[in-house]
Amino acid sequence: MATGAGAAAGGRSFSFKVVLLGEGCVGKTSLVLRYCENKFNDKHITTLQASFLTKKLNIGGKRVNLAIWDTAGQERFHALGPIYYRDSNGAILVYDITDEDSFQKVKNWVKELRKMLGNEICLCIVGNKIDLEKERHVSVQEAEMYAESVGAKHYHTSAKQNKGIEELFLDLCKRMIETAQVDERARGNGSSQSGIARRGVQIIDDEPQVQSSGGCCSSG
Amino acid sequence: MNLKSERRGIHVDQSELLCKKGCGYYGNPAWQGFCSKCWREEYHKARQKQIQEDWELAERLQREEEEAYASSQSTQGAQSLTFSKFEEKKTNEKTRKVTTVKKFFTASSRAGAKKAAEEKTPKQGQLGRERNADNILRDLKEIFTPSWELSSPSEALAGKLKEIQEAKAPSPSIHRQASIETDRVSKEFIEFIRTYQKPGQDIYKQCKLFLDTMSHKRDLSIEEQSECAQDFYQNVADRLQTRWKVPPEKVEKAMDEVEKYIMTRQYKYVFCPETTDDEKKDLAVQKRIRALHWVTPQMLCVPVSEEIPEVSDMVVKAITDIIEMDSKRVPRDKLACITKCSKHIFNAIKITKNEPASADDFLPTLIYIVLKGNPPRLQSNIQYITRFCNPSRLMTGEDGYYFTNLCCAVAFIEKLDAQSLNLSQEDFDRFMTGQTSPKKQESDSFSPDVCLGVKQMCKSLDLLSQLNERQERIVSEAKKLEKDLIDWTDGITKEVEDIVEKYPLEIKPKSQALAAIDSENVENDKLPPPLQPQVYAG
Repeated sequence: MATGAGAAAGGRSFSFKVVLLGEGCVGKTSLVLRYCENKFNDKHITTLQASFLTKKLNIGGKRVNLAIWDTAGQERFHALGPIYYRDSNGAILVYDITDEDSFQKVKNWVKELRKMLGNEICLCIVGNKIDLEKERHVSVQEAEMYAESVGAKHYHTSAKQNKGIEELFLDLCKRMIETAQVDERARGNGSSQSGIARRGVQIIDDEPQVQSSGGCCSSG
Repeated sequence: MNLKSERRGIHVDQSELLCKKGCGYYGNPAWQGFCSKCWREEYHKARQKQIQEDWELAERLQREEEEAYASSQSTQGAQSLTFSKFEEKKTNEKTRKVTTVKKFFTASSRAGAKKAAEEKTPKQGQLGRERNADNILRDLKEIFTPSWELSSPSEALAGKLKEIQEAKAPSPSIHRQASIETDRVSKEFIEFIRTYQKPGQDIYKQCKLFLDTMSHKRDLSIEEQSECAQDFYQNVADRLQTRWKVPPEKVEKAMDEVEKYIMTRQYKYVFCPETTDDEKKDLAVQKRIRALHWVTPQMLCVPVSEEIPEVSDMVVKAITDIIEMDSKRVPRDKLACITKCSKHIFNAIKITKNEPASADDFLPTLIYIVLKGNPPRLQSNIQYITRFCNPSRLMTGEDGYYFTNLCCAVAFIEKLDAQSLNLSQEDFDRFMTGQTSPKKQESDSFSPDVCLGVKQMCKSLDLLSQLNERQERIVSEAKKLEKDLIDWTDGITKEVEDIVEKYPLEIKPKSQALAAIDSENVENDKLPPPLQPQVYAG
């Protein structure tokens, strides 16, 4: 509750909802567990569940609260997708590089997401399990070209070896911040602040005091 | 819940049967073990004392409040005057419903004092009037209040005191039929809001204003009312942040309390309102879940094995939680029930699989829990939460995630078909119509640890039921045969009769006619015998 004169400059805080989509065994859960707990197939994982996880980041003075929503990947639950990804700011679409079908599934999701949410949502297409490069069935070129064609970014990760995951989330956050700011500017600054937050993205203007007392400790 | 039922229970020991004062008459647990006469004496004494104490305390607090608020509260004073009409009306209402007071208030003196403290502009004249009302109320109460409601002097008194306090409350936004819970919530709210000092006063004013506005907007559609509530949440949160510079964590906490306060009061008007088809949907879902009673965990691929006692315990707890949701009034409390249920599900999965549950595990289990529990008024609850919950909580938080999953579960159950359970259409139809149950089919696939005797018994039962079926079939076939035979003989008899009926008249006259022809030939006897042999030879 003291100073905080300088803190006001970057004192913004964002809350983002990110959905995790992908077929059953592509490693969605491992991916988030690796990211949030830095653990993989560990007997000592303390979290009760890996379906809803949060992460706090600090990107260039901007505080980001990330809520990661896992979705059920079984085919029978496909129709429930819209209930999950409604109002989300980002989507991570995971496929298994050794499984061609899972990539097809990603394509279906992309189509659906673009149809339902337009360009408001930041898409990440993620080829997981690059530790199994030898068994690759989805070519890098094909995947990257596809991602580009739908305005998504493509990433390669390995939850097992902890490769590419930090980069994936950091990049996604930056893009979501950009989108949110563009959106904000489009709606006009200042007064309409309240309108934006309604039932959707929560964009909160931090008070200077909070910055110092709240302790923006957690890192990205 | 538990506490209440314990308190309500009447334990009759031999020693308790007689009046505690030892007057020789039988006592009654409802009168704290006194007989009616002694009870009345005791009750009166305690009540007088309590009234004295409470008023002293209330007055003292009121004085303090007056001083504290005197500087800033000129506007509210005006407000209370304009609503004096309401006050009269309310007093009338109150006298009619004295009997509804129940034993809910334990911290009586504090409660009364707090409530008193809430009145920001006490007036001497008003005070006198209250005393009057007090007397009338007391008399009325003695007449109307049934003995079982007066579980203890202090409790009953607290309830009564509350009423008096309410009767004099100058604001119209307190519901006339405010229930006990509503009172408790308002009290807590006021207590809470006081910790926020000035912004707190502002919030309180806003809430009152909102409730007042809403009471005039009951004719609006539920969606419009929902909009109003959402706008209100937004405005209050904004106000706290921008005008009062309250830090975000405190804003969140305050918003929770605001939600609790206003929704406890709004609940009965906006939960499952008649203007919507929520109730119809509730019934539809309920019927649907009942029709799906045969769905097994295996069909849903639920990663939870209920054979483990701990797991089945968790499952039961989860079901209890989801059912309990209906009993809560505040959207956030309802959400908390869903969250609690989800946590139990996660525990069940964790025990079974020994790894953190993913959504792939969680959703099927939740669906299974919903199917097994068939929670009451599921759709109404979901709608109510969607319409009136503080949006920030619903859209981003953990509670929101579980709520979304519940919505998914309900949507899945509504749309569920053969394919989504990996069944053939014929099987699905047969299960749905109740012709067979999947449990019967699976009786030969035992888990390995079932003992031999049980297996044998199940097999024997199976055999017996098969035999029974066969016997029934034979009996019904035999019956059919019997019926066929009877029908056949009946048919024949009828046919014969028909023919007999149709032809006898024609036979008779014919034979008579022949006779007549013969009878006319009088000289027949004289005729020589016919020469038939010649005819044959020819």
